[in-house]
Amino acid sequence: MSDIRLEVKDVSKSFGITRALKRVSFNINKGEIHALIGENGSGKSTLTNSLAGIYQKDDGLFILDGKEIHPHNQLEANNEGISIIVQELGTLDGLTVAENIFLGHEEEFVKCGIKNTKAMNRKANELLKKYGFERIKAGDMIENYNFEDRKLVEIVKATYFSPKIVVIDETTTALSREGREELYKQMKRIRSEGDTVIFISHDLPEVLSLSDSITVLRDGDYIDTIKSSDVDEDGLKKLMVGREVSGNYYRADYGEEISDEVVMSVKNVTVPGLISDVSFDLHKGEILGFGGLSESGMHEIGKACFGASFDREGSVTLADGTEIKDIPTAISHSIAYTSKDRDNESLVMNQSIRDNICLPSLDGLANKARLLSDKKLEDFANTYAKKMSTKMISVNQFVSELSGGNKQKVVLARWIGKDSDILLLDSPTRGIDVKVKQDIYQLMDSMRKAGKSIIMISEELMELIGMCDRIIIMKDGKISGELRRDKDMDENSLIAKMV
Amino acid sequence: MASQEKKEVSKEGALKKQSLINIVRSLLPVIGLVVVCLLFNILTKGGMWSSRKLILNQVYVVLISATGVFFIMTMGGLDFSQGSILGIASIVVCVLSKTNIALAVVGGIITGAVIGAVNGYFYVNRKIKSFIVTICTMFLFRGVIKYLASNSPVAASMQVYDYDTTPIKLGITVAVLAIGFVAFRFTKFGINLKAIGAGEKAVKFAGLRTDRMKFLIYVLAGAITGLAAFVNIVKNGSATANVGNQLETQILIALVLGGMPISGGAKVRFENIIVGSLLYIVLNNGLIMMGLTTQAMQLIQGVVFLIFVAIFADRENLSVIK
Repeated sequence: MSDIRLEVKDVSKSFGITRALKRVSFNINKGEIHALIGENGSGKSTLTNSLAGIYQKDDGLFILDGKEIHPHNQLEANNEGISIIVQELGTLDGLTVAENIFLGHEEEFVKCGIKNTKAMNRKANELLKKYGFERIKAGDMIENYNFEDRKLVEIVKATYFSPKIVVIDETTTALSREGREELYKQMKRIRSEGDTVIFISHDLPEVLSLSDSITVLRDGDYIDTIKSSDVDEDGLKKLMVGREVSGNYYRADYGEEISDEVVMSVKNVTVPGLISDVSFDLHKGEILGFGGLSESGMHEIGKACFGASFDREGSVTLADGTEIKDIPTAISHSIAYTSKDRDNESLVMNQSIRDNICLPSLDGLANKARLLSDKKLEDFANTYAKKMSTKMISVNQFVSELSGGNKQKVVLARWIGKDSDILLLDSPTRGIDVKVKQDIYQLMDSMRKAGKSIIMISEELMELIGMCDRIIIMKDGKISGELRRDKDMDENSLIAKMV
Repeated sequence: MASQEKKEVSKEGALKKQSLINIVRSLLPVIGLVVVCLLFNILTKGGMWSSRKLILNQVYVVLISATGVFFIMTMGGLDFSQGSILGIASIVVCVLSKTNIALAVVGGIITGAVIGAVNGYFYVNRKIKSFIVTICTMFLFRGVIKYLASNSPVAASMQVYDYDTTPIKLGITVAVLAIGFVAFRFTKFGINLKAIGAGEKAVKFAGLRTDRMKFLIYVLAGAITGLAAFVNIVKNGSATANVGNQLETQILIALVLGGMPISGGAKVRFENIIVGSLLYIVLNNGLIMMGLTTQAMQLIQGVVFLIFVAIFADRENLSVIK
């Protein structure tokens, strides 16, 4: 069997007491797009990160083209022909775009110990042009670009040297439509050159349409490897969850009246360079969606309403006349915000789940002498973490040990614990599997019914259509249209207003 | 079912192992303290025990001012200006003690707070790294001290000797530690501080006014050291040009010996202050009593310091960049 590219043999990995991978074995072929799916915490990222040298596996073998490999870091993995695009941000601040692309491979441009920056930039610009990302300039500092552009730079970085295996870990959810198309194109190019793509995604239709074979993991166990042509979406869900999942997970109701009561009024809000002159009202008990391309400025809407934008003009006013100018005022007036940048802005990674959940609620948890008891904090955190069915060992575990979806559950648990009335959710289901998504949608629906108001900012049009009472579409920092909840609405009517 | 049980057992086993490592880590400084005490008592044939009062006398100032630095380090900052703060505040205490003792105490605290505010202003508002700012203020105020006290030491009023009793010095120290402990362990103050150390941006998004908090902590640490200046003057009676010299390094070493992770964050414990300060002073005095030269002492201190940093450095928190 010479077309086997990679043999995964009995690979195990534990984090502290969490066993993320349990003796996983399967094969990946040459010239295929091999999808890796499973619920949050099933071990997908752990497996690929071990392969790419980011983690060290505890046990087992990776056999690449018949040769055992033990990469100790990403650079060694690169040299073996393995590259990875990680789930979170994988580019380094303080370096230029070109320096990021050629990180660890600078020697190509070094002569007599001197780096030829010009040649490096020229080569980088050529590559960027070849990929069709001309708007990114090689000489610019990487931090001048937004999340999406930085992901595009990572795509270039991971694929330009034609590696044998490219791992793409949950990248598409961070990308807009065009970015995704570009990524798909690159994946197919790699396959046509006889190399292999390992593709991690929660978007099952995407997985089915792109990949040749699919491997399913569940709780660190290997479940099965199947040909994409032999399975459908429900079949995959069943394999992932281990039981039947009902297909319909969005809201079912249509034609409900939106209350006239305005809970938050946004007037002429401008954030220089991001959004300009945006005005809208948020009503009691509605889910107001914001959609658009990644750079449309929609992600800034959440920050602006939360008082977290730098340099904001215009006003955000609550029903009682309070102006929201900073985060503490927002929180004390029962506003919650979950950021798209979960690891930096929503969670204190190297801190316990307990403290993360309790942070904004500490005043309420203190007794009359303003003292806190550990037990009370733990009970509080336990109550809400369990309510969100967070997969954890105890609330004293560090958040950094959790998988992406479980981290998001901790963020939501925090705000449910705070009993916020207005929720600003930026990409609440980014990188999250079907079952947790369903939980989050149900949670949003029950909050709506309880009279809470939600702003949901999302790049996934289907969830906006499925969940929102109204959808506002953003384009170039301005509102370009508004749509009402409608059974017959489809993605195209939204896309028309986005581009 | 059987595999489920097995999983539970192995989880429990792993949990035990993990907590065992944590227990060893948290006990190590205490064990170190006991071992060092026993060792030196044996080596000096009980000489150390009989001079315990003298040794204890040295630990007050370090213990008090370490409390403030402990708060700063918990939120991930550093402060090298503590020695100079102690020096300036000591001079102020000496001068004011001639008018009124209560005024001298308050004056010392205010002086410390003002210098802390200078640190805080440049750190928070001008966004300069804390160790750069505090190294600058260390030199600046050291210069002021030299200017004020070089010709002749600034003497305090004879009245301060009335306060040179163990109950008063120990009382002040215990009071500072007790208040600090309760605030750190049982109020939101401690949780917020640790959270800032572990991830400032996310804490900001959770609604804490982090800039204000950081500024106030520097003011607080200055004020606490200002109070330590009173104890210092009660002990010494006058302020020389070298007053408070190297206090900042002593504090830093003491905290690290006590098991404090240098990057602050969630793994910090209040006990670090007490165990660390005692360990440092005992180690120091023990070496002196053994008749070691200054050079040899510094060498040994350096080695011990390095070993402890290596053990307690919170490597998970030194953000691993992918």
